[in-house]
Amino acid sequence: MSTRGSIRLRLALRNLRRQKRRSVLSGSAMVLAMALLVFSRAIAEGGHEDWIDAGVRMGGGHVSVEAPEYRTRRTLEYRLSPEVRQAVRDAVASPDVAMRLVVAAPRLTVHGLASSSSGALPATIMGVDPERERAFSGLDEKLVEGRWLEPDDRVRAYVGARLASRLKLKDGSRFVLTAQDANGDITGQMVRVAGTFRSGIPEVDEGFVQIPLTTAQEWLAMPGAVTSEALLLRNSRDVGPVRSAMRSALSEWTDEAAVLGWRESMPELDAAVRMDDWADYIFHLVLFVIAGTAIVNSILMSVMYRTREFGVLRALGLERGEVGRVVFIEGMVLTALSGLVGMALGAAIVWGFFRNGLDFSAMWDMEMEAAGIVIDPVIVPRFHWGQIVQSLFFILVIGSLSSIYPAWRATRIDVAEAMKFEE
Amino acid sequence: MSDGVNGNGNGTAAVRTEDLWKVFAHDGIRVEAVRDVSMTIEPGEFVVLAGPSGSGKTTLLNLLGGLTRPTDGRVWIDGTDITELSERKLARLRLERLGFVFQAYNLLPVLTALENAEFTLLLRDVPPEERREKVEKLFERIGIAGLEDRRPGKLSGGQQQRVAVARAVVGEPALVLADEPTANLDTATSTALIDLMAELNRDLGTTFVFATHDTRLMDRARRVVRLVDGAIVDDDRRD
Repeated sequence: MSTRGSIRLRLALRNLRRQKRRSVLSGSAMVLAMALLVFSRAIAEGGHEDWIDAGVRMGGGHVSVEAPEYRTRRTLEYRLSPEVRQAVRDAVASPDVAMRLVVAAPRLTVHGLASSSSGALPATIMGVDPERERAFSGLDEKLVEGRWLEPDDRVRAYVGARLASRLKLKDGSRFVLTAQDANGDITGQMVRVAGTFRSGIPEVDEGFVQIPLTTAQEWLAMPGAVTSEALLLRNSRDVGPVRSAMRSALSEWTDEAAVLGWRESMPELDAAVRMDDWADYIFHLVLFVIAGTAIVNSILMSVMYRTREFGVLRALGLERGEVGRVVFIEGMVLTALSGLVGMALGAAIVWGFFRNGLDFSAMWDMEMEAAGIVIDPVIVPRFHWGQIVQSLFFILVIGSLSSIYPAWRATRIDVAEAMKFEE
Repeated sequence: MSDGVNGNGNGTAAVRTEDLWKVFAHDGIRVEAVRDVSMTIEPGEFVVLAGPSGSGKTTLLNLLGGLTRPTDGRVWIDGTDITELSERKLARLRLERLGFVFQAYNLLPVLTALENAEFTLLLRDVPPEERREKVEKLFERIGIAGLEDRRPGKLSGGQQQRVAVARAVVGEPALVLADEPTANLDTATSTALIDLMAELNRDLGTTFVFATHDTRLMDRARRVVRLVDGAIVDDDRRD
């Protein structure tokens, strides 16, 4: 740093120290804002991760592979052949994907009817690998009666509790699933209830049936084929690299297999997360306008109070811009120091009090459901490097914006007039 | 000497003004603070600008120091026409060729006495050892040795003004401009300060220009320029 630079820095730092009470008071607004930012971001990140986790487990996974037109047509004509499935399995086994993967679950989904002696109701029927699906959806934990599917089950079904109730089905009851098979023929399959579940999502509980994958493949005349391969990842931020790796590995099969991230396969959930993010950003903006105003006010007051001092600096040979830089440095240092203290305070509050989760169940006593997922009332805050970078960016922006105007005012001081100024 | 502020060959006078005017307009009222002042101050002079309050002494001093721009006319400092200089070059000239002493001392409160005194040397990139040596010698000479590490708030008025004088002369400027330097001091301290500045003028050859009411200072001056209503009415040389 040049000698003049070090003088500017020395003057700025000593002035902050000289005005200790004012510095602490105005800095405390920034401390509070940053602490709230860190806290609310950690809660929002934790909440979003919960939403995404619940959403992808009940939906198509963080990343899903399916036939390109399956999403719009929803018919078995658009399926993944055994050859494509093998390519998917190879891609999933590659190190880039395997290290980020929790489980890959094959699914054969068809829309049809569930009929019993009490009536017939529309249902989404999903053929699943019981072991993989248990690790994927966690639906076995939502059991109401009976049991989850076993690997050697043949004609067993795991049924949404509302659907079972409306069809008057109990554990062991027989009922018939009817759907259009791969050849376009209407075909039926008799199954027995293995168990019933309640997910909390009305559409799922009223119209969802899971049966063993092999049973579904035989029934629908598509041996070895599935409608999708769903990938559950360790972290939602791994979607980008995994999707890229999968797309690259399946580049020869682009006509038959499309790789989708959860934002593409679940646009409602994506919209809900984005909307919540925007609400957060608005909250943060308000927070920072308040903190920024406090900093501007403090630095500006300091500039007014020290008019004569700035006049002296100019008289002694400091240039206009240099006087402005002294003030700018003061604002930046005040903002940066208080911002960093606020970050540490926010992190300490989150880590000290809420690392095991913040329980909102007292605020809502019934199940909350949004965008097709059940929201867990216990939110576990999450930190990641992006939040720190984002916070530092906010500090930089607020510091700069809050310091520019007072610095500019300091450059406009008339030296001769400043000498008349009474401190 | 610095780049860009060298003289234009207009003699070797420490100060020269030509048809200098400063007019303020406030709420439609025109105030002629300095009227048609032409004067020359030679190097080494010890000059007092005297006159009643509102006579334009401080405004003239500010014009000579480049702290305010004239409405009309010209000012040369050490041969450089400062009315033509950019803000940046003017700041450079103030740093290298001018020293200021103010009525209210105007030391920087966050710096120690030594840091205040060496401030202009710091801005001129003088090495630390040389700075310290110069300031300590000067402090010894003006009777404030041992106060180097005190902040202005811990110094008496007289001590602060001595630090201010040290700050003004330490860079060996062509001209020191002092605005009512004794106004806030008691008689004994004022006398000591006047002695000090006269001594520095004599020994170092520094040119001093004062704006003052102080008769003791006028008595010591070798030249008294009297101003009334912004114009020079008398120029009394006592050599």
